[in-house]
Amino acid sequence: MNWDLLIVALLAGGANWMFRVLPTRARTDRLTPGGPVERFLAATGPAAIGTLFVASILPLVSVSAAQLLPVVAGTSAVVGTFLFTRSVVGATLAGSVLYGLTVWALG
Amino acid sequence: MTDPRAEFRDGLTASLPIALGYGPIAFSFGVAATRAGLSAYEAVLVSLVIYAGASQFLALALFASGAPVLVSAFTLIAMNLRHVLYGPALMKAAGKEASSRQAWLWAWGLTDEVFGQALGALARGQRFSEAYMFGLGGMAYAAWVAGTAIGALAGGGALEAWPAASAALGFMLPALFLALLLSVLTRRQLPVLAVAGLVTVTGTFAISATSGILLGMLAGAVTGLVRR
Repeated sequence: MNWDLLIVALLAGGANWMFRVLPTRARTDRLTPGGPVERFLAATGPAAIGTLFVASILPLVSVSAAQLLPVVAGTSAVVGTFLFTRSVVGATLAGSVLYGLTVWALG
Repeated sequence: MTDPRAEFRDGLTASLPIALGYGPIAFSFGVAATRAGLSAYEAVLVSLVIYAGASQFLALALFASGAPVLVSAFTLIAMNLRHVLYGPALMKAAGKEASSRQAWLWAWGLTDEVFGQALGALARGQRFSEAYMFGLGGMAYAAWVAGTAIGALAGGGALEAWPAASAALGFMLPALFLALLLSVLTRRQLPVLAVAGLVTVTGTFAISATSGILLGMLAGAVTGLVRR
């Protein structure tokens, strides 16, 4: 067992549990509507997801058409499927499948 | 009178698409974990204890780069700060009468997708119940851990003969984040996303990928403070 890994996992997992569980007890009605805390919290979610998307797709972006084409195909499939179905899971699977198929087609 | 078992089953049914999506992502995490040098037990332990997709992949990168324990832990903790918002938003939608007595357990499964599915179900008229949340979150958690185990046991060389499948699994995470991004996209949050994206790219190229992620999130959240 890697003890460093275990410590990191326990710290991160413990924080995850607190982030997910403790706020269910929060008195959200006491937050000032439109106040700075509410605005900061409201922006944290989209900022995190946007950041994670950029960070995850950045290594895949290339000037080479053979490498860029699957990214364009996969991204288009995600956007198209989401707009059509409003399903996060469906859009994710469609994007991934089309990305793989494009890689396969390009050999 | 409602039947908790029926509500639990409703939760399981609602969780099926999430489980189908989680399986391949968790599988690719299991494969990536063994490629990074973790044993199958360690990979499953990470999924059981952290249970947050992006954080787990980042944990592998930090583990491989030899980052200090506290720096790694802080980075992973910062990545999941957004989950703080889900509990209050869900309980607000559930109504004042909703019980959160057993939230110490079911809220552990309150991931991005489970939160989105639960909120959507409430918007479609589903009555909030803790049994439903156990079904919804439990199935997703089981799929995540099982997918990790299968991927870890299949090992790092499992997909070498299948480059297209390997590529498809590698694109699963960006695809998931893009779909989640589209699901939370509003005109009001466009400046937040623009700043977060720009700072992430700049931070990644100027400093490191980890710094880019942290700075991007922080810059985006601070942008939300600006009144428009």
